[in-house]
Amino acid sequence: MTPRWKGIPPGPWAAPFRGGWLAAGIGLLLLFPLSSPDAYLLDVFTTGFLLAAFAASWDVVGGVAGQITLGHALPFGVATYACALLTTLAGWPLPLACLAAVLLASAAGTGVGAVSAPLSGPFVALLTLSLAEIAHEAAAGNAFLSGPGGYAWGGEGGIPVALPWSDAPPFATYYAALCFLCLASYGMLRFSRSGAGLILRAVAGSPITAQASGIPIARFKRMAFTVGSAFAGAAGAGFAAHVGRATAADLSIELSFQAATFAAVGGRGTIVGPVVAALVLHVLFQGLSLPPAARVLLYAATLLVTLRFFPGGVAGTVRDAAARIRRRNGGRPARHAGGARREEGKR
Amino acid sequence: MTSLLSAEGLTKSFNGTRVLDGVTFSVAPGEPVGLFGPNGSGKTTLVNILSGLLPPDAGTIRFDGKEITRLPIDARYRLGIARTFQIPHPYPALSVREAVAVAVAAGGRERPEGGGTGSGGEPPVEKLLARTGLFDQRFVPCALLSQGCLRRLEFARALACRPKLLILDEVFSALSAADEEELAALLRAANRDEGTAFLLVSHNPPLLKSLCRRILVLEEGRIARERRV
Repeated sequence: MTPRWKGIPPGPWAAPFRGGWLAAGIGLLLLFPLSSPDAYLLDVFTTGFLLAAFAASWDVVGGVAGQITLGHALPFGVATYACALLTTLAGWPLPLACLAAVLLASAAGTGVGAVSAPLSGPFVALLTLSLAEIAHEAAAGNAFLSGPGGYAWGGEGGIPVALPWSDAPPFATYYAALCFLCLASYGMLRFSRSGAGLILRAVAGSPITAQASGIPIARFKRMAFTVGSAFAGAAGAGFAAHVGRATAADLSIELSFQAATFAAVGGRGTIVGPVVAALVLHVLFQGLSLPPAARVLLYAATLLVTLRFFPGGVAGTVRDAAARIRRRNGGRPARHAGGARREEGKR
Repeated sequence: MTSLLSAEGLTKSFNGTRVLDGVTFSVAPGEPVGLFGPNGSGKTTLVNILSGLLPPDAGTIRFDGKEITRLPIDARYRLGIARTFQIPHPYPALSVREAVAVAVAAGGRERPEGGGTGSGGEPPVEKLLARTGLFDQRFVPCALLSQGCLRRLEFARALACRPKLLILDEVFSALSAADEEELAALLRAANRDEGTAFLLVSHNPPLLKSLCRRILVLEEGRIARERRV
């Protein structure tokens, strides 16, 4: 018999999302291109949307399920390389290649999940880091493919993606990436608030109690990696289509750390927090046209300040403060108010 | 009488030290059994092996006619062996209601999609919460519960699979007299109304005598004697 998690009654995590702020944010982003920004700024935002979706996909694995992965660039890179190879070498149309890329990334996630399922804590981080680094080194160090015209593909230069357009207007890619971010975030939010998401939060909170409650935790850890990697793969496919090239940087440890940093700053396990943190930090640091080394320092400083003063991230800190205020006023904790409201509504 | 649980020759060593040395006993369906023994006699190791948290070095365990020696703890829970922990490990981020809902879903109790009703007409999660006295705290995060409430939550979680056998490891320790009495009443009710057998590990002989029909005494990894109450 297996857990029938689909039937779990919705709990506090499934509370109706207070979407007013989000709707306002999306509205501003929709209107932003009308202010005639330059192409560079639009490109920064477009990349930011894709990175935000990638950060949220890290949160499915590392936040909701508590499997701290430092190799989340692996499914992202698998997808970018799949897009490049399938379109350029196999001649597949881009949409079909993107679909295959997402499936391949998801399969890679299932594999990582299967290998890491018996492990916990720092061992998961080390294993995922190792697997991604192996892939990164293999991609960076080998110009193993011969493209048309006899020049070598692969290595640091990467592999081009055969795009059906020669020069996409920045507005089109901006809106396409924003649309993708909204859809992907909604999907991940729904998953994190489903019965399966609740079980993953239980596994993250206390694996031993989850097991003693009949949860086959290895299966659910695999599920978290599979789902998170599928969304990371979708972000990777979008990124490949945006930049027109798969490079070894798509598999780099920096990308994995960036996703983990966004999630830590935004608030692990909240999905929306990492999305907002990724957008704000990326646009801020990239928009300032700082050199890469300065950006890395700024990311590191932001992470240190967050871990020291706001261990729950921005979303966690705001949520806990709201809960404290409600408790002081004699009400229920804010995080659980939604569940209570639904309960009262049924009566 | 046919045994619900039978353990034969259970042996376990840690780093060359033999903690259990050929433990053999059985529990009949619906039978309340106590397990008493001094510190270090192997009670918790035996509980961990019976619940599937640890594999034995040797010996066999049969439950309801099936060999379950190598079955993991989650599969044993779904078969109807539920355990509580001496030190509860609550889910810090989940509410009490969610923690019970997870166990209800995993335990496979009857419940249609959308959190429908159990056999008593009430949603099983709410029913369990009411039964264990946690209904008023259903939206409280588990991390904020008192020791007494954590024990109740352990009970609710264990009862969620409609267990045939409850294994209770020091469930009454560090409780107030009132909490102890309420949990004892809950245990008696589960045994009387649902025919749930239990193996209660405790350091408290009067409590064991009041709740159990038979008490096993574990000394130096062996069942030294057995006493009918």
